[in-house]
Amino acid sequence: MQLFLDGIFLGSIYALFAIGFTLVFGILDRLNLAHASVFTAGALVGIEVVSRFGISIWLAIPLVLVLGALLGVLIERIAFRPLAGRHDAHFAGLISSIAFGAIILSLLQALFGADTRRFPADAFPQARFEILGATVSLLQVIILVISVSLMVVLTWLVAKSKLGRGMRTIAENPHAAAVLGLNVGRISSTTFAISSALGAVAGVLFTLNVNAAQLGIGHAVELKALAVIVVGGMGSLPGALVGGLILGLSEVLAVNYIGSSWRDMVAFGLLFLILILRPQGLFGARKTREV
Amino acid sequence: MRKKLFSAAVCGSALLLAITGCSTTSGNGTKDDGATGSGTGADCVIKSAVPISAAFSLTGAAAQYGASQKNALELAVEDLNKVGGVTYELTVEDDATDPKQAIQVFDTLIASGAAVIIGPTLSNTAKQTNPIAQDAKVPVLGVSNTAAGITEIGDYIFRDSLTEDAVIPQTIKAAVETLDVKKVVVMYSNDDAFTESGYQAFAAALKDEGVDIADTLTFSKADTDFRALLNKAKKSDADAIVVSGLIDAAVPLVTQAREIGIDTPIIGGNGFNSPALIKGAGKAAEGVIVGAAWNSASDNEQNVKFIEDYTAKFDAAPDQFSAQAYAGLQIIDHAVRAECSAEREAIKAGLGDITDVPTVLGDVSLNENRDAVHDALVQVVKDGKFAILE
Amino acid sequence: MLVEYSSLITLIALTAILAFSFYAVLIAGQLSLAQLGLASLAAFTSSLVVPDEPLFGFIPPLAVGIVFGMCVGILAAFILGLPVIRLRGVFLAIATLAFGEMVRIFLINQTWTNGAQGLGFPKLVGIEVAWIALIVVAYWFWRLSGSRMGRAFAAIREDELAATTMGINVARYRMASFVIAGAVAGLYGVLLAYFSRFADPNEFSFTAAVDGLVTAVVGGVTLFVGPLLGSVFLSVLPELQRLLGINAGWIRPTISGVLLLVVILFLPGGLSGLIPRRKSAKRLVANPALRPDLPALPAPGTELVSLQGIGKSYGGVHAVRSVDLSVQAGEVLGLIGPNGAGKTTLVNMVTGLTPPSTGTGVVLGAALTAGTKAHRLAQSGVARTFQQIKLFNRLSALENVLVGGYRITHDTLLRRLLFLPSARRFEREAVAMASAQLIRVGLGDKAANAAGDLSYGDQRRLEIARALASHPSLLVLDEPAAGMNHVEAGRLSELIRSLAADGIAVLVIEHNVRMMLATCDRIMVLNFGEVIASGKPADIARDPKVLEAYLGSAGNDADVEAASVLAAENLAEVAVELAREHEQGPDAVIGDDAEPNGAAEPEDKR
Repeated sequence: MQLFLDGIFLGSIYALFAIGFTLVFGILDRLNLAHASVFTAGALVGIEVVSRFGISIWLAIPLVLVLGALLGVLIERIAFRPLAGRHDAHFAGLISSIAFGAIILSLLQALFGADTRRFPADAFPQARFEILGATVSLLQVIILVISVSLMVVLTWLVAKSKLGRGMRTIAENPHAAAVLGLNVGRISSTTFAISSALGAVAGVLFTLNVNAAQLGIGHAVELKALAVIVVGGMGSLPGALVGGLILGLSEVLAVNYIGSSWRDMVAFGLLFLILILRPQGLFGARKTREV
Repeated sequence: MRKKLFSAAVCGSALLLAITGCSTTSGNGTKDDGATGSGTGADCVIKSAVPISAAFSLTGAAAQYGASQKNALELAVEDLNKVGGVTYELTVEDDATDPKQAIQVFDTLIASGAAVIIGPTLSNTAKQTNPIAQDAKVPVLGVSNTAAGITEIGDYIFRDSLTEDAVIPQTIKAAVETLDVKKVVVMYSNDDAFTESGYQAFAAALKDEGVDIADTLTFSKADTDFRALLNKAKKSDADAIVVSGLIDAAVPLVTQAREIGIDTPIIGGNGFNSPALIKGAGKAAEGVIVGAAWNSASDNEQNVKFIEDYTAKFDAAPDQFSAQAYAGLQIIDHAVRAECSAEREAIKAGLGDITDVPTVLGDVSLNENRDAVHDALVQVVKDGKFAILE
Repeated sequence: MLVEYSSLITLIALTAILAFSFYAVLIAGQLSLAQLGLASLAAFTSSLVVPDEPLFGFIPPLAVGIVFGMCVGILAAFILGLPVIRLRGVFLAIATLAFGEMVRIFLINQTWTNGAQGLGFPKLVGIEVAWIALIVVAYWFWRLSGSRMGRAFAAIREDELAATTMGINVARYRMASFVIAGAVAGLYGVLLAYFSRFADPNEFSFTAAVDGLVTAVVGGVTLFVGPLLGSVFLSVLPELQRLLGINAGWIRPTISGVLLLVVILFLPGGLSGLIPRRKSAKRLVANPALRPDLPALPAPGTELVSLQGIGKSYGGVHAVRSVDLSVQAGEVLGLIGPNGAGKTTLVNMVTGLTPPSTGTGVVLGAALTAGTKAHRLAQSGVARTFQQIKLFNRLSALENVLVGGYRITHDTLLRRLLFLPSARRFEREAVAMASAQLIRVGLGDKAANAAGDLSYGDQRRLEIARALASHPSLLVLDEPAAGMNHVEAGRLSELIRSLAADGIAVLVIEHNVRMMLATCDRIMVLNFGEVIASGKPADIARDPKVLEAYLGSAGNDADVEAASVLAAENLAEVAVELAREHEQGPDAVIGDDAEPNGAAEPEDKR
């Protein structure tokens, strides 16, 4: 039981990162590799406002949310929008987001130094309880709840709301969307803002959970998150959640039954197999080609 | 647009020309007059400043270590220049935690006339850069390299950092004696040279002491969530958990272990020896045993002053990385003054003769293998402080 | 200078070689992140076989290492390629990324690699070796770029499907680019290890793969010097900042990041885009004497296509049902029918793009089965155009037609590598043949224009020229007159007649019924996937079933116009009456020049 719960909680962290990641990918068909830097920025800025200004964590989270959204808009404006319409927008977007991510990281180093930082010990209630013989912390439960509800809310948003309809139209055909009078620029910005806001908050929750944050944390999760969104199906929000949980569980099981040295081998082997057997992922729709 | 790009290209090539232009002017600084002075030891006077270069990881994955090393060297130069007779001129370069970058940095430092090079931060980088210095006959003093085989690169390569082999057997022995440890779980990050060699030292020491290893668990140096591993360790019902990891892993590992209810002692190596452990893990750090080359609570006069000055100057407590870097410059100063020369050969000879030089680490000698010899310490975290384990 | 910067200069060459490894896949439109994994496999395994002393007394140890490393790279790339080669775009990138990480973890867990502690290597590589290796690699890619293989890679990058119908075996070429990249990656791994004297598996991580990709993209993939430019740019940046006295620390990566961003945003095509390109491959060679003799086409009247009861259904929807079709050399067979009648599906089956669900068929001697490959049919002499134009947009018009000539030209890569005179001769022949086709369709003056920049009608003609370049026995044209005015359509009609007179069998789908009636020898009419009429144009024009089919569908302007033409050919009064019954006003459209828009017309979209 403890094993199972460990896997679920680990997976919910991956999912938290991956949901924002996959949102941009699914709708705008762009892989935003600056997402990891936004994640780190959320964590470090969150720590700064809590430890320096003594703000409560509950107030810090909305602040970080806003910061993430702003970063998202900046990323879209600077690293992606100028590329719109270029035939190599795909590759160029990858590289420009890497460059933008590197800039964010070095500015973070300038602001906060390279040391490992963390939230003050009393920043978050340390409640712990037992479920079916397994120990869980309040924070882990909250992270799981947030991941699931984010997935539900975002799925609803994309499926039902006016903004979501706009997003899906753009995903289908950006030219048609423009012809239909949709403000493609604004909807793209909004998508990036939502995605990055989620990424930044994920950074805070992640840091609270593991009690450490430094410049490299984003990259460590990014690689796993890539695996998650592929396993779940590119662009699928429920897929990101399920993919995260599968990855978390498989890692925990690998540690216990195969050996911890081979843990990442299992994760990436799984990724590799799924790509070969079912390239569209568990929840993805296969994109068909027309003649 | 085209025009702008063109002018950008022109600027770029102009800069390239500038590089080649500069390079012809910089020659062998050590050949200058004034590199050799008069007198020895404290009386030594060298007219021109002694060029000391350092290559540390100031950006990239190992940036946090490089930063405190750089701080400590700046402090050391400041202190040593106050003594008089010999002045040091410090250049600190960034290898960006990338061995390829480090190779270029070493080339540049050697060509710009460094009398001695301090660094690099990581052992695996040292394995690629130090042969360059060896070929160019420039002495190198490692201040944080602990992996095996570094000083074997050649007779110009020295280090003042104790290897894990020198620290860990003592730690395990002390732990076994004081805590009656019979069965342990060993955890280490297997994708890092430092922590892996730490693991090997632990394994050997545990065998020597006749301690049973119930399980060996590995993780990645980038990991921060250890709950799955710790839950597995918990099941094995060991008397202690032995960890070879960097400080990045130490804090989350220790906090998470306490969180899931592991209350056995945790034993760590050099990687755990940082004020960040206590600051970051807080109460969870209580009872953690750390074998180390340097103790912040040592009453060594130099050490007390170092900690005070460092804290005042940089608004942060020094860690073992900074102490070893500071001691490195003290050792170099001793070597320079011994021959009273800033020539590379003279410094190399001086470094070969280091015996019981008082430093912030205590009295340090360099043995015939050019490795550091000084007392290691076994500490335990008690009341929010590192104390000697007794 | 040389001493101070010897490592920098060597590393520029090594980084450029790594970037070439990415370039090798990028030019074929693939993104692989496995290169570092391949490189580390090569580096570590080479340590097991490289001898201390020259082999047999004269083969230097490094040569053994390089050859072995490249072989390991090739072999590993091939084995990896078998399962992943069918993945595209980002899926391929992530599968290869997973592979790279798996290699890294595998090597860390091996004892012979010494795990994270790393392995020492003797220093065998210096400036000279690194630059000689780079020059050899760059030379290879330079000679590749103008060869038939290079053009095939470019075609696959631009449009895989169109490339297939030129006779290019896409899977094989994708694998070839993968394997070439593997060889270069293996070379890089060995050179790096024997230069830096040390390697640990973590040096070949995801971050390093991203660095390599960045180098290749910043340099640009349009010209073979791209990887070198990217490497110089990225390697010199830190050194430059150091010389300018910028303090070590966070400021340097910030500046590098900003510069990288600027290059990507403002230099499409990377740094190599700044270099003006020589336009030799864009000039016409209008000398008929240079054209080689081509094998004769089948004698007029030979049956080239023979289909019996062929059908295609998509999950219960019958797009085409039980169609019999026969096409002879030298005739023009028209295929008409209202929108969605299954015309394109039928010709997709004839050209091997879609396997039939039922029935049997033989096209140019090859049976149509589930295993029929479009490129095989193309190689036996089928060429086609597409309803939605599929040109290689970034290539020039002439280059498009040169790719079209894939089937009848020689692969010149080996000859080009050796600078054999025959390479030049073959290329001039290829250009001469391509030029002739361009001139034939009336695009001689636009040879150097990028295909994507041409007008709609010109693009249609270019596609025909490209199809003709393969010297086909059977030419399939899918709505060639769409978007053309009456004058252009008239000229097209003449062209089609002249092709048939040359002995080519032409199968043409077209909505312009007036043109079809004037052009075709026979016409088949399809409605709801079934043949409703077949015969001489004059008979078809008067067949009320045909008119009714069009009126019954009347889906768009093209159908309405077709109906109006048929109606005029038939009895005008009857047509108008019928049209009123169907609440359509054909008289309002008669004489109108309603141009069907190909892009907005999803005919036969499944």
